[in-house]
Formats: sequence, structure tokens, C-alpha cells
Amino acid sequence: MTLTWLGRSFLYVAFAGALGGVAFQLRALRTKRPSFAIPFAVLALLGIAGAVGVMQYALITHDFALAYVAENNATFTPLLYSITGMWSALEGSLLLWSLLLAAITLGVLFYYRREKTDAVVGWAAVVLFGVGAFFSGLMMFPADPFLHNPAHVLQGQGPNALLQDNPLVAAHPPLLYLGFVGFTVPFAFAIAMLITGRVHERWPLEQRRWTVLAWGALSVGIILGAWWSYQVLGWGGFWGWDPVENAALLPWLTATAYIHSVIVQDRRGLFRVWNLSLAISTFALTVLGTFFTRSGVLESVHSFSSSTLGPLLIGLFFFTVALGVGLLAWRGDALRSAVGVDQPFSREGLFVANNILFVGFAVVVLLGTVFPLLYEAVNGTQVTVGTPYFATIAAPLSVALLALMALAPLVSWRSASREVLWNRIRLVAWASLAVVALLATLGVRHLAVLVAVFFAAAAAGSALRTLWGVLVAARRRGRLLGALRAPTTGGMVVHLGIVVLAIGIVVSTSYTQRSEVTLASGQSTVVDSQFVTFKGFHVVKDPLETATQLAVEVDGHSLFPAVTTFNGRATTVGTPAIDSNLLRDVYVTFDAVGGNGTTSGAQVQNNLPAGSVVLGVTVEPLLAWLWIGGLMVGLGAGVSFLRRRHVEEPT
Amino acid sequence: MTVLRSFGLWVAALVVVFGVALLVSANQSSAASRAAHLESLVKCPSCEDLSVAQSNATTAVAVRHEIVADVAAGKSDNQILTSIENAYGTSILLSPPTSGLGVLLWIVPLGVVLALIVVGLRLRRRWR
Amino acid sequence: MKRRTVLVTSLVVLAVVVAFSVFLGTRQPVTDATDITSPLLGQPAPNFSGTELDGAHWSLRNDLGHVVVVNFWASWCGPCVVEAPNLSTFAWQERHANVDVIGVVFNDTLSAAQGFAAHYGSLYPSILDPGGAIANRYGVVSPPTTFVINAKGRVVVTLVGPVRLSQLNAVLGRVRQ
Repeated sequence: MTLTWLGRSFLYVAFAGALGGVAFQLRALRTKRPSFAIPFAVLALLGIAGAVGVMQYALITHDFALAYVAENNATFTPLLYSITGMWSALEGSLLLWSLLLAAITLGVLFYYRREKTDAVVGWAAVVLFGVGAFFSGLMMFPADPFLHNPAHVLQGQGPNALLQDNPLVAAHPPLLYLGFVGFTVPFAFAIAMLITGRVHERWPLEQRRWTVLAWGALSVGIILGAWWSYQVLGWGGFWGWDPVENAALLPWLTATAYIHSVIVQDRRGLFRVWNLSLAISTFALTVLGTFFTRSGVLESVHSFSSSTLGPLLIGLFFFTVALGVGLLAWRGDALRSAVGVDQPFSREGLFVANNILFVGFAVVVLLGTVFPLLYEAVNGTQVTVGTPYFATIAAPLSVALLALMALAPLVSWRSASREVLWNRIRLVAWASLAVVALLATLGVRHLAVLVAVFFAAAAAGSALRTLWGVLVAARRRGRLLGALRAPTTGGMVVHLGIVVLAIGIVVSTSYTQRSEVTLASGQSTVVDSQFVTFKGFHVVKDPLETATQLAVEVDGHSLFPAVTTFNGRATTVGTPAIDSNLLRDVYVTFDAVGGNGTTSGAQVQNNLPAGSVVLGVTVEPLLAWLWIGGLMVGLGAGVSFLRRRHVEEPT
Repeated sequence: MTVLRSFGLWVAALVVVFGVALLVSANQSSAASRAAHLESLVKCPSCEDLSVAQSNATTAVAVRHEIVADVAAGKSDNQILTSIENAYGTSILLSPPTSGLGVLLWIVPLGVVLALIVVGLRLRRRWR
Repeated sequence: MKRRTVLVTSLVVLAVVVAFSVFLGTRQPVTDATDITSPLLGQPAPNFSGTELDGAHWSLRNDLGHVVVVNFWASWCGPCVVEAPNLSTFAWQERHANVDVIGVVFNDTLSAAQGFAAHYGSLYPSILDPGGAIANRYGVVSPPTTFVINAKGRVVVTLVGPVRLSQLNAVLGRVRQ
């Protein structure tokens, strides 16, 4: 009982801090006094930190007095998975979200502590506290993580099987949430600027390095999620256009549009309305994504749900969008900038195209995600909108974006001359064509792959050319390290990462070969030029799990695909094994065992002799490039964070 | 060499390379690739969003056998998909119907392309 | 941007968002068994037979003249746990009333299925479905899915999701009319 009482008390403190912050800040704004909101932010953070501490204590000491711990932890759960158990299910994940939000709120207030009297900071604080109060409030009523467990159980269920067999569970949710929560700040400031009418000021530009950090966290978070699914779900793929995956992609799309669009605002003062809308949309889509993940309205491998949270979250979504639209309508006149995009063939023009493509993509993905609900409401029957649809849309769109990546760094601001552009891009154009010609002669026949590689090579070429220019200029100045902090370095590294990612995606999805082989113990075979040997069974039995492993050798490397049953949950999952190198991944799964029935938990095929197994062997070329590309994107975002303060050039 | 001629040369090379590639990537509608294509359009009955091509679940394997048998028996793509739809309901197909409400799913992306073109034209007009 | 264009655009966007939010806010997550219009309704039930978990043989043909409730389940399926006692109660209740309940194991292993049936005290037989052939014929997408076949051998009701005892009784009433 004490843990429940203690945890709830801390939550009340957090809620009081957030609510108090709202009230106090509003009063300070009205009476124009310097705000004292920092103590409230500290209170909110201490409250939520305390609640997190109580939950972690309960998880680590396996205290089943809390229902949440009984459902997501067991006495034999290892320390790592006890800690990550906090975000393995709905109520606990809200704790993580609120912790990050409270920390960021305090960070923002501390950063701007010398501008206490500024109304923009004041209103931004109101918004941040308000959102914090909402999420703390969710945990106080419908989603209570500290529910007491009335049954006196000696053992818990342990976390969901798929959430305790890979350490990436420690990285993906925190990074993802860091990204989402990080974008609450541009949102808060956008609202603040609209309310105060001070829409021409440089707040978003000044905060750019932090926004890029949040974007980097979000990007790496999504890619780690894909990597995690790849390693664990057993089908050899990394993205299923699942509603929850789409829910994370949507805010990423508008966030990417935002960080690009802000470049134009920085340089030429344009796109103010776009940027405010994008900041508001990113936050709104984050809330919508949270709704999809937690309301249970759309079925997904990744969702956890409760039916009461749904209406509350959609309410917040509606409120956010209505507020944004209302404010934009009200301040519409003031947002008009004195200058405009001079001509479409200019860097600004390409950024306009960039905005339209990213936002358009987001709209299409959103429509595809909710379409089954819409269809069922209208026609009564169920439909599925799956990979074929999304892939058909994503492919031309990605090619268009790669083309923009190839052109934009080399196209001048304001008005580009075709001659100048051709002179800059000529080498890149010929090199890309050469790459395609080479691949075609080497036997690559898929037209889609050739087109994608052409534009990817062009994008890489432009990025490399730009980086080369930066290096040369830095060398001339005698400060090579200065190249790292040049304005475009981080961005170009990110672009290179995206190119690597794109090539990995295109090649692996076009050339994946799936096979099933039946092998007796000691037998070998060749599958898609991979030498596979089945060496025998191993049984692993420890307090955590019982697993039947197969000792398999692929091209000289040992792999152990298995079928694992986690004690406590009585669910059996397949554990794939992967042999990875730069050229290809070999993905091996334990699909079935021969004979008449075993206790291994694997599927049985009685037409096969006992002791033989059916292995799923999937060979995916260049799959590792996805994770390498992801790493480069993260690195690029980090470099961009270090960027020198941009001195405004006269336009 | 003038810019125009230099660019023109590159465009010619582009056309040649991709033209050859297009011709060489001939129609590979063998039975195996037809079956593979159909398999990517049918959802694995017991999975959330995988196609029967991607999943090795028993239900997916069962449907794959059915597709391969139907292709060998000479049924058309449409016939095969319809018979599977009749057994499992419309939600078994991963691509939504293109008629009725499904039209929306294709109109909106086209709308995005249209928006691009319209904005581009308006900017151009303003420049002129 | 002219003031009026801004206002009109804002109102249109707002209307769309209101409709969208209300729509999503009123969707219900699936909690109970839903009576769905499966393609099999009114059709003669596809024949099937199989080996029971304890080794005996079972065939649908042997049940002519009875109402048969066919329940597709799996040990890894959460809602199946919820409905297991309801099905057993129903089976016991109707055991002398010419109503048979038969379970079909969906995409699962023998050992796991036996474990589940033993643990939850199943009072009706279940058969294995090697290769998922029966599930394929019945168009089962995910467990638990329950088909009710009337005495004339036609499928009259398809329920997707965990069934409650009251639902089963109500359905039986309809079938017997």
C-alpha cells in the first residue's frame, strides 16, 4: 500500500507543480511582473522524478504490490528489463514522457531565465506547463501506474515477450520520446508568438540547434525502432506501415519540413506562416500518434491501449489544432512578409517544393492509416491499407525528394542561373549516370532500382561537393576544424546518411530472397549462395526463459535461431538469428521441427522425420546500410548542433 | 562547349542509358514472379500487417500453396484474388479497393502533385 | 493574404478537424465478440475432421442433426483465455441438448495447446489443424473466431472476438428458431 500512496503523492506534486506553473505564469503575464515560474518547474520535475523513482524501485525490487509491476515484471527479470519495464506498457510509458517533458520545461525556463519578463517566454511557459499538467493528469485518473494490486502474488508475469529479448528496448522509446517532447518547445513558442503578435522575431531561429537535436533524436529513435523490429519480429523486414509506425513517421515528416523551412526564414525572412504551422502540426501529430498508440482504435503489433484515454487524447489533438488555426487566422495579416519567393527556380523555390512534398506525404500517410476506420463507418465492411499502397506512394515521392537533395545545395538563392547550376552539377550528373551504367552492365535489371540509385548518387554527389567546398575554404583559412562548424556540414552529413539509408532500403526490398530449407542434423545446403549447415539442438533453460536453440552455421559463422518461451507469460516467440555484413544479411528463423510432437514450442510438421528442422533463410543484400545510414543521420544532427552561430547576411 | 551543348550531351547519354535499361528489363511474367506478386498483395491471415509473401506463419503458408496451385491451374490474377477475398473477406487484400470510397486514396496524392504544379506556376507568374 | 481568404480557409480547416476528431473519438476498441458478416454465412459449413488433443478422431460429418459451435483458438491468444471458461460452461450446459462445441487449434503447437486446455479445464474437445487447412477453408483471420452451424449444416453466425455466455445463449436461441 505504501508504494501506491507514495507514487501517487509524487504524481500529485508533479500535477500541482504544472498546474501551479500555468496559473502563476498567467497571472504574471497579466500583471506584467517578472515570473517566478522556475520554482514550479522544479516542483513538477521533482514530483515526476519521485514518481519515476518509486516505479523503478518497485520494478527493480520486484514489488508486486503494484499491479503494473505484477503485469510487467517477474522475480527473474534481469535488471535491464526491469528498468525498461517502466515503458513496456501504457501507464509507465506516460511516466517516461512526463519526466522528459518536465526536464525540458525546466531547461527552457532556465535557459531564458534572464528574459523572465518577456511575454513570449511567459506564454511559452504556460503552454509547456499546460501540456505537462495534461499528461500528469492522465496518470492521476485514467492511466494510473500506481494501482494497488489486490491479489497477493508471489510472482509477476514479466514483460511482454518481445520487449525482453533485445536490449534496444532501452534505446528506442527514450530517444523517440525525447524527439516528441523536444518538439513541444517549438510548438510552445509558436503559440506564444502568435498570441503576443510578435511573429517577426527570431525565437525559432535561435532555438534551431535544440530543434535539430530533437529531430536527430526522433530520427535515430525511429531507425532504432526499425532495427529492433527487424531483429525480433521474425519476418526479416523492418517497416510494415503499421498504424503505430505511421504514427511516429507523421510528426517526423512535418518536423523535417520544419527544420528545412526554418533555413529559409533565417536567410530571407520568408515562410513564417509555414514554420508556425509546421511547428504546431508536428506537436498535433505527436498527440495524434499517441492517440493511435494508446486508444486501441487501430490494431497494431505495437499498440497498448485503454478505451478511456482515446477521447481525452483526441480532445487534446482537437484543442491544439483549433488553437493553432484560430491564432493563425487572427494574426494572419501580421504574418505577411515584405518580400516573397522571387522565382521558382531558386533555392527558396526548391524549399517550397520540399515543404509541399513532406506535408503532402504526411497527409497521404495519415489518410491511409485512418482509411480502414472511415471505410468501416461508411460501408460496414473492413478493408486493409497495407504496404502495396504506401510503397506505391512512397517510391515516387522519395525519388522526388532525392532529386531535391541533389539540386538544392547547388542552386543559388533568390534567382538561380541555369548556366551556373549546370557548371556546378555537371560532374555529379555524369558520375551518377556512370554509376547507373556500371550497375546496368553488372546485371542490375530492376528499373526502379536504377532510377533510385541515379538520384541517390546525385544527392550524394551534391553533398560531397558541398562538403569539399567547405573543407577547401577552411583549409585556406588555416582552420581545418572550422569546417566542422560550418553552416552546411551537419546537413550534408545527414543527407549522405539518408542516401545510404535509401540505397539500403531500395536494394534490400528489391532483391530479398526468402527460402525455407529442411535439414537433418549435420546436413548442409546452399541457399542463394550462402552455405548453411544445421548442427544440432541446444536447450537453454534458465529462470528467465526456456529456449530450444538450433546450432546453425552460415558461411562459417555460428547462429542460434530459437523458439523461446518466457517464464511467467507462457507465450512462445521465435527468436531469429542474423549474420550481418556490409554486403548482405542472412536472416535465419526456426520455422518447424519434424516428427510427431515436441515440447520445444516450435511448429510441428509430421511429414518430416523427427530431428530434422525447417529453417527460414532470408538473404537481404545491403540491409546493414540502413543502420549505417541511420548512424550517419544521427552524427550529422550532432554536427549540426555544433554549428557556428549564423551571422545574418544582407539580402 | 556551350552550356546548352554540354547539357544536351548529358541528356542524350541519360536517354541512352535508361533506354537500354528499360528495354533490357523485359517482361518477366513467369509463373513464379506472378505468384510472388500476388503473394505480396494478400495479407497473412493471422498477422497484423504482413503479406503472405513475408510471413512464414502456418496460415500464410496455406494461402501461398493456394495461390501457387491457382496460378498453375491457369487462373487469372483477378480470379485468384477474388476467390481469396471470398474466403476471408475484403480486409485480406492489402491494397484497398479503388472504387467507391477507395478513390479518395488516389485522389489525395494526385492533389499533392497538383498543388506542386499550381504553386510552381503561380510563383513563375509572379516573377514574370 | 486577404483577410477573408484567411478566415474562410481557417473555418474549412477547423470543420475538417472537428469532423476528424469527433470521428476518431467515437471509434470503439474491440472488446467483445462481434457478430460479423463472414462470407460463409448461409453456406453449407465446410467439412473437416481431425485428431483431438488426446488422440481421438473427430469429424464434422458425425454431428449431423446437431448444432455445432466451432471455436478457433490458440494458446498465445489473450481473448481466448477470457472466453475459455464461457465456452466450457456453455458446452457443459448444453451437453444433453444436441449442441456440440468443438475447438480448432489455430496456428499453434500440440504441447502449447494441450497445456492451455489442461490449464483452463476445457470441457469440450479440440482438434489440431496441421498446415492451417481448416482455418483456410473457414477464412479465419485471427483467434478467437467462433462459427455456429445449425442442425442442417449451414453456417448461421460468425463471431470474432471473445464470446460471453449470454451471447452464446442468445445465438443458440436464434439458431433454434
